[in-house]
Amino acid sequence: MKTDPTNSLFSSYPQKTELFDEVFEKDGSTKAIYEKLLCLYGEHSIMDYVNLNNKAKSSFFNQGITFQVYDKEKTQEKIFPFDLFPRIIDTDEWDIIESGAIQRSRALNLFLQDIYHDKKIIKDKVVPLELLSSSANYLHQMMDVNPPGGIYNHISGTDIIKHSDGNYYVLEDNIRCPSGVSYVICNRTALKRALFGVFNHYNAYTVTDYAENLLQILESVKPHGVDNPNCVVITPGMFNSAYYEHSYLAKAMGVELVEGRDLFVENNFVYMKTINGPEKVDVIYRRIDDAFLDPLEFRPDSTLGVPGLFAAYQKGNVCLANAPGTGVADDKAVYTYMPDIIKYYLGEDPILNNVHTYHCSRPNELKYVLENVDKLVVKPVDEAGGYGISIGNKLSKAEIKQVQEQVKKEPRKYVAQSILSLSVHPTYIDEKESFEQRHIDLRTFTLLGKDSEFVLRGGLTRVALQEGNLIVNSSQGGGSKDTWVLKKDE
Amino acid sequence: MPTEFAITYSTQNEYESLVNGAFWQFLIIPEENDTQQLLDWEMKSNIQLDQNESVNGLGFKSIHAHTKEKFTKADFKASFRVQKKSSNPFDFIPNQNWQADLEEIQSIAFRTVNEIFLRKTRFTELPSDFTTIFPFNANKNVFENLMALNHWVFVHLFFKVGVTHVDTPLQEIIEKRHGVCQDFTHLFLAIARANHIPARYVSGYLHQGNGYFGDSQMHAWAEAYVPQAGWVGFDPTNDILVANDHIKICHGLDYSDCSPLKGVVYSSGGNKTSHSIEVRSSQQ
Repeated sequence: MKTDPTNSLFSSYPQKTELFDEVFEKDGSTKAIYEKLLCLYGEHSIMDYVNLNNKAKSSFFNQGITFQVYDKEKTQEKIFPFDLFPRIIDTDEWDIIESGAIQRSRALNLFLQDIYHDKKIIKDKVVPLELLSSSANYLHQMMDVNPPGGIYNHISGTDIIKHSDGNYYVLEDNIRCPSGVSYVICNRTALKRALFGVFNHYNAYTVTDYAENLLQILESVKPHGVDNPNCVVITPGMFNSAYYEHSYLAKAMGVELVEGRDLFVENNFVYMKTINGPEKVDVIYRRIDDAFLDPLEFRPDSTLGVPGLFAAYQKGNVCLANAPGTGVADDKAVYTYMPDIIKYYLGEDPILNNVHTYHCSRPNELKYVLENVDKLVVKPVDEAGGYGISIGNKLSKAEIKQVQEQVKKEPRKYVAQSILSLSVHPTYIDEKESFEQRHIDLRTFTLLGKDSEFVLRGGLTRVALQEGNLIVNSSQGGGSKDTWVLKKDE
Repeated sequence: MPTEFAITYSTQNEYESLVNGAFWQFLIIPEENDTQQLLDWEMKSNIQLDQNESVNGLGFKSIHAHTKEKFTKADFKASFRVQKKSSNPFDFIPNQNWQADLEEIQSIAFRTVNEIFLRKTRFTELPSDFTTIFPFNANKNVFENLMALNHWVFVHLFFKVGVTHVDTPLQEIIEKRHGVCQDFTHLFLAIARANHIPARYVSGYLHQGNGYFGDSQMHAWAEAYVPQAGWVGFDPTNDILVANDHIKICHGLDYSDCSPLKGVVYSSGGNKTSHSIEVRSSQQ
């Protein structure tokens, strides 16, 4: 269907045909999956839309769904900008994403199991030893520790983009404490409140079943000999940028939200202080970083953790999700070996593509990177949240020189990838009071338990709100969209 | 002939203001290995404690103690009886030269297993100005080189208590040329690892009365991997190989893995801490 020129919402939509638009074909016609949506939206004027969008925003504000952006000088509290125009993924495409995400999570789990035991993959020379020996996130304390249920990465956040060739590519795997899932659920709630009449026309999967699946996964990795595990969520506290999410998940799972000072360890078991006396804790969904878990074993100045916690974990008396030391596998240098890692452990070809990556630690690749900084995305291997990324074609000559110097100084610290063209999606832009193309990605959430797995059917579509910007992280001022995964037609 | 050692570890901790709660980890129990047998041990305190045996991150036995009452003064006294078999660190047939040793040490299987003891940590990274401060001799085997290193560290540094503290960087120790057993050990580790020899930090007790440096406190030395022999103890503070007078507690990457007393104390204000060690032997 051609867009109706009288459809005021999209009449002035500035479509750049060199970009891959998920809603409109290059000739301006609407893709089949979005036809109904556009029809329904077409019944409204842009002013209706503005009103609805504002209502949705204030609902976020009233619920206190905010996050903090860290900066060198100051920390700011912000609402996560939400866009009412949803992203739709059809069944067939979703099947690829879902099976690909499970495959990666399983492979990463086997990789972690291996590198904290026999290290066969290194002895077999599939990945280089330097990958571990130079990784600050490799915890030697985890050697030969057996996590309950054999699971390391219970929760994985896989960031996926749709390239202009129409295929999905994985940008990175986040398996320390991936966050963002609460926004998926809030986005859905906000959208349904504002536009129930629209949502109702599509047969999309629910996203509110995440918490119940998370609880099942956590219960499946209970310590040996425990029948009814007591699960808790541990948070660094209300000043953490993801505190809303911690409290949401605890509430939705019906478990206690605790801080380090609420727990103590006695005789290598973990207890929670309650008004009825100590209560044993069996599974901890921890949202504090490795370094802060236990001041006796890691950072001695940590006041967020629990002294003796790691010993209780080593003894198998408590399960930590995710396991300590998973950070070694979400290192961006490990990412580049993912196709080999998947093949090595599962004997399968990767279902989802990797972006080709250059290792600055290899002399000839370093040379290529230094000569082509303007054509590449250069990233530090160990920073999360989009910090320290430079995108070559956006840099001035002086900036390119600066990047070259940095990389030359510490080659192991950097990898580089070709600049991908992320797909774009019509996004309402406040200042212009109209829709424009903005780049998007998708964070998926995969859960891995003892003998079970789950992928949240939906995920967080993140939008780079600045025109032309490719970095979609919320900490870089991105927004988000509700993401509908359609059920198969019966 | 086995020797029996009676070891006493005591520590006194005084706090300016009332402590509401504390959780301590003691890494002071002698390891049980081929040459050491722990006969019995106990630990007492002046305050009421919940005390239990646990492990540290590398699996060595530790004591966890959790207070049951408020206090301003906490004293601990632990005693251990250890039986030690005599051993001879020279009792092996070394490879003839560096090349033969290198073949073993540079194999991927070997490096994979020992990778963590080749790591540079904040205590064991040689400062960039000093990377060639003690070059290994390619005409000697690993064992000879390590003995030369042991001697070199002993000569280069002067044993002096009170001038360095637990966080003194290696750079300062090399430049000012003094320190305690911990500093001697870190320098040995840094150079051994820079030469691709896996080396680990060892914490333990030293037999007193022989005039050794560092015997009045918890001692530290290094274990390095020698082809054909395995892990061999080097005590650079005293320029000797570890044999019958060293009672090992645990090993790790550096001091931070092995510190004898770690704790979290919920209190404000300063505190005073003192430690003392007594090691007596009786030949059997």
